[in-house]
Amino acid sequence: MPTNLLLSVSLKYWQDFQDTLAKAMNTNIYIFDANANPFSKFSQQVEVCQDVNKGNKICNEKCIYFYKDVLSSVEDRGIFTCPYGIRLCAYRLGTYAQKIGFLIVTPNGNITGVDIEEENTFVAKANNIYQTINEVLKAILEKNLLGLRRLELNSIYEISRLMISTVELDKVLELIINSLIIIYKIELGFIGLREGDKIKIAQAKGEYGHRLVGKEWSIVHPVIEKIFSTVEPSSLDIDKLKTLDGLTDLEIDVGNKIVIYPLWTSIGAVGLLGIMFSPDSIDENDNRNLQIYVNFSAIALANAKIVSRLEKEAETDFLTGFFNKRTIQNILIGELERAIRYRLPLAVIFLDIDDFKAYNDTFGHIAGDVMVQKTAEIIKNSIRAVDIAGRFGGEEFVIILPGTDKEGAVAVAERIRKAIESYPFPHRKVTASLGITLAKDSDSVESLLERADSALYQAKREGKNRCCLA
Amino acid sequence: MPDLIDEKVKRYEDLLNEIWTASEKYLGRATVQLLVERVVWELSGEYKETELLQFNENGISCKELLTALKENLNFPVDEMFAKFVTSYVEILSRLIGSENAEKIMKILREEVEKLYLDSKEGKEDGKIENRY
Repeated sequence: MPTNLLLSVSLKYWQDFQDTLAKAMNTNIYIFDANANPFSKFSQQVEVCQDVNKGNKICNEKCIYFYKDVLSSVEDRGIFTCPYGIRLCAYRLGTYAQKIGFLIVTPNGNITGVDIEEENTFVAKANNIYQTINEVLKAILEKNLLGLRRLELNSIYEISRLMISTVELDKVLELIINSLIIIYKIELGFIGLREGDKIKIAQAKGEYGHRLVGKEWSIVHPVIEKIFSTVEPSSLDIDKLKTLDGLTDLEIDVGNKIVIYPLWTSIGAVGLLGIMFSPDSIDENDNRNLQIYVNFSAIALANAKIVSRLEKEAETDFLTGFFNKRTIQNILIGELERAIRYRLPLAVIFLDIDDFKAYNDTFGHIAGDVMVQKTAEIIKNSIRAVDIAGRFGGEEFVIILPGTDKEGAVAVAERIRKAIESYPFPHRKVTASLGITLAKDSDSVESLLERADSALYQAKREGKNRCCLA
Repeated sequence: MPDLIDEKVKRYEDLLNEIWTASEKYLGRATVQLLVERVVWELSGEYKETELLQFNENGISCKELLTALKENLNFPVDEMFAKFVTSYVEILSRLIGSENAEKIMKILREEVEKLYLDSKEGKEDGKIENRY
């Protein structure tokens, strides 16, 4: 909750209330904010300082220095005499935890301090005013606090509603950053996702936000290492932060703070959430509530990671890490469409390990599995990054070569065949037969694979350990 | 006089709804609702009448506010709406970038200026330009 009175209390309504109270108590009242800057005007004209400040506001340097000095020394309350001889009572407003300003009460006439009874009457009156004003301010601030908490609750409700659907991860992250900007008026907010050994900024808003989206920070960068060395948020030094890509030119107002929260979940560190804010906009209570947003971000990211892992597992063959039969067929649909539309060549190779059943039966299933894994590794090392390999079943593999013509496909198939033949598999020499085909305009996925399969069986029929083209 | 206030508040209502619709395209309904709620809350400290602005997923309504203003014709309507829009746009520009916020304001500025000048009878030409 901001401790700035102007953010919490309407000056217009406050002045009306203060003036009425001052008249009723036949005193003068004046309010300063927490930084000892004038908030309201004198309620009534002060006879003694009429010539100095025209009676209703401070416009004399002596007065300003006096009040600054006095208010900084006020622990709870005190009685002072101003440079022009006015006796006054000064009070600290708010609580020890939430210091929101100061109250000055002066008599309307001059009290010399000689008449003790007169001074005691004034002090008692001032104490009553202090209690009334403190109660009113407390009520206003509580009402404001309730408003803020309602805003927080509304945003948390929306975020949790969106989180039911993990496919809306982007929306959840956006709503989290939006809420932080709207509720706490943070200057900059960003969320980074952990991708392997990097943190990639997935969402960033506010000043410098546009520069940050998409930036990648290494997980072993000293700043990132420091953030993930604890479960607590890190308050970062600006110069250190500037060593991160996207924040090099960061210019922030003096006094603004940058805090980065590591996002930890049961599956480890999933990312980070960073905020830049003015200390006026966030206090200790808000810090606790910020942790709720941090937890939401962590859960949303963890859910997304789990879903993405499950999706990947559903597409992948566990033994080799290659795409499985269903995925390779789906990929082939897209590649075939692309090849026909853009008149590009597309080659498909069907590979079958020769005499695999005998190897399996003789040396056991574990040895068979090792052979399949090694074959997959050889295939992977023999093709380009744009080529796609999949395990079609048992000892069968399919390799898709986009943009590759007949000569290119034969060369790749031969390279794989020779690499398998020359690899020192345990127990005995291993070979493979390969069937090659090129896509035609009239092809479907089934007809393409059937032709590659026919070529493979031709290679088997012709004595194995060879490549045939169909 | 009541007819004038009717017309004026209706125009401000249309303006706020235009801002709502324009920002919803960038931010989505939930964020826009939260943003309006924030500005209403912030401004209600200074003008408690702001709390009479009603809003839901369909936009903003000034019906209740108008009823209250008809009983208090000295209320600074223009000032309150100008502060509302200023505060809204200040947060909006942090959310969608000042360039996009400027696009929205470009569409609305003419209307705001007209409204403001109408209320000042054209005496303070150009003043609204400096508010954003």
